[in-house]
Amino acid sequence: MKARAADLKTADLFADQGNVAPLPSAVKTPPLTAAVSLRGSAPPLPTERPRPKQLWYAVVFSDLPDLDASAMWQRLCLCASRFTPLVSIEMPNALLLEIKGSVHLFGSVEALHAAIDAAWRPHARKAQSATAPTPLAALWLARAGQRVCIEDPHLLAGGLAGLPLACTCWNLEWLQTLRSMGVTRVGELLRLPRAGVARRLSPGAVRDLDMALARQPAPRRAFIPRERFRQSLDFETEVETVVYLQKALEPLIEHCARFLLRRQAGVQVLELRLRHRLIAMTRVRVGLAGITSDPRRLQDVLTQRLTRLELPAAVRGMELRSGTLLPLSSDSLDAFAGARRNGRLGDMAPQLVERLRARLGSKAVYGIAPIPEHRPECAWQRVHEPGRGYNVQVGDMPRPVWLLEAPLLLAADAEQLSHQGLILAQGPERIESGWWDGLDVMRDYYRARDPHGAQWWVFQERRTRSWYLHGVFA
Amino acid sequence: MWMPRETPSLAEILADARVWKLKDASATPSRPVWSTGLRALDARLPGGGWPTASLVEVLLETTGLGEIQLFLPALLACQQGADGEIPWMVWIAPPYEPYAPALVQQGIDLNRLLVVRPASATEALWAAEQALNSGACAAVMLWLQGSDERWLRRLKLAAEAGGALCVLFRPDRHRFESSPASVRLLLGRGERAHAAGEPTLELVKVQGGRPGPVEFSDSR
Repeated sequence: MKARAADLKTADLFADQGNVAPLPSAVKTPPLTAAVSLRGSAPPLPTERPRPKQLWYAVVFSDLPDLDASAMWQRLCLCASRFTPLVSIEMPNALLLEIKGSVHLFGSVEALHAAIDAAWRPHARKAQSATAPTPLAALWLARAGQRVCIEDPHLLAGGLAGLPLACTCWNLEWLQTLRSMGVTRVGELLRLPRAGVARRLSPGAVRDLDMALARQPAPRRAFIPRERFRQSLDFETEVETVVYLQKALEPLIEHCARFLLRRQAGVQVLELRLRHRLIAMTRVRVGLAGITSDPRRLQDVLTQRLTRLELPAAVRGMELRSGTLLPLSSDSLDAFAGARRNGRLGDMAPQLVERLRARLGSKAVYGIAPIPEHRPECAWQRVHEPGRGYNVQVGDMPRPVWLLEAPLLLAADAEQLSHQGLILAQGPERIESGWWDGLDVMRDYYRARDPHGAQWWVFQERRTRSWYLHGVFA
Repeated sequence: MWMPRETPSLAEILADARVWKLKDASATPSRPVWSTGLRALDARLPGGGWPTASLVEVLLETTGLGEIQLFLPALLACQQGADGEIPWMVWIAPPYEPYAPALVQQGIDLNRLLVVRPASATEALWAAEQALNSGACAAVMLWLQGSDERWLRRLKLAAEAGGALCVLFRPDRHRFESSPASVRLLLGRGERAHAAGEPTLELVKVQGGRPGPVEFSDSR
């Protein structure tokens, strides 16, 4: 009874107005709710309540079998990401969820709290949870086993006051120092002067208290799911034709697309592994031009790639693996993108590129771009990702549409050239460059016309005086 | 009992989709046309230019006779896409490397040009059909050695459905084979005796127009 009175006093000291709502199914009534029940008869108007910027839900698992296994964390975090995008792991055994944005969807904080609690049931038998405006406060409350829901940051001090200091999980040295001072509860610590606490324990302890009481921001590292799609399929009989593989691939791709959709993610790389009886498996890797989760597009690219494939042996089973999951752009999530298909060229061009590449090979499809360089053969490049905005100024000297891969020897001297009936129509344009890298050229370029009307781009090598064909004006 | 069929009226016959009206086609083409840059050639083509959603075949005696120049105005026009989106153009199996500085000089936006190098003629035709069907391309240029009329028919259908211009370049030995192209053009070497040394231009087939040689020299 004495402790209760003390608690009441602390609550009075730190909590000014509003109420701490106990959850309906709370097993034991926390002592601090005594203050609540006294004031609870006249709840303040909702407009008077300061709105917290964040609301953190903390859950502490006490009997998970293999908590250190990363797979377990993956499963729990995925489970939690149904409620909020911001999930944070607190080692060794707690999870923190920022749930402010989801409250409206679930109606009330209490309903949301209960819904999240229910989500742990398949995974853990003993889970203690609490909700508070700061992550540390929620964590401390959950560790203390107080299933409460504090929404108002002003009530934090009162809510935390009754907690034993052990639930801060500070190091043993600090806790022993505090015990020797006769301080066992958070409320008693809060009443001590800050400078003294900082000196006797550490500035870190004061910072923790400030973070817990929302006097200082407490950033948390968010959990990022690092996972891939992986599903295998075994055939009852050995498959020898690609056509059947394509058919069998459909459900796998369907699953993969659903998997991606649930995570609001897409892939850019897919791998299909075909298992054979005696020889090593065949790996089919396809790259996509953009990040996608569209099953039709995935199917299309894989099908095109498979038509090109020659099976080395009969296939016993296959496995579809996705590459790293990547966040989808807002365009790909657009529900009406299909309806506007005809108007959106930007979306269709990457699809065309990946279709062509899937069948013809990655190097057979490319873009071209000029390079600011005097030597004609060095003044252009192949571009693997066409359409990425290459803007280079080019000169205004005549250049042919077609460039020969290597200059073709036409004649040893000017006399031989005139025998061939070539008329030099325009020129010369002298190009001397490249002495610094060993590929130097000394050439006089001309636009020439052959007797039949074709226009050629020829040059005379100034050292050997011989004539070469280098391009065709078409 | 045998019933005499009613003779259909002229209007009914004309309404039949299988009946193709020659005169109407030449008078009002349903789609815009793109100029060829040659006045004499424009005058001979229905509507005054290359038809947009169809197959144009150019039979070449040799490369370098100005065949790209004939399509340059069309290529520039097709990149003036509506509502800010620039359509793509695809060059499939060109005889040499398309030289980027020259194309930039001519005003072509290289960010919207795709070069495809397929391993075989079938793959080239497949790639052309994919490009036409994708809806992202306004022009597809295809250089081909062989001939397969069934494939060419597919290309024509794809071009018509996609609303794109498909230009097929083939050697002139295919001149006497039948082709579904709406325009067939023969670019030949000029005679050695000819003083100007200009290439010759002949319309082998024009749907809605009159075939025959076109005067090259005085029309630029």
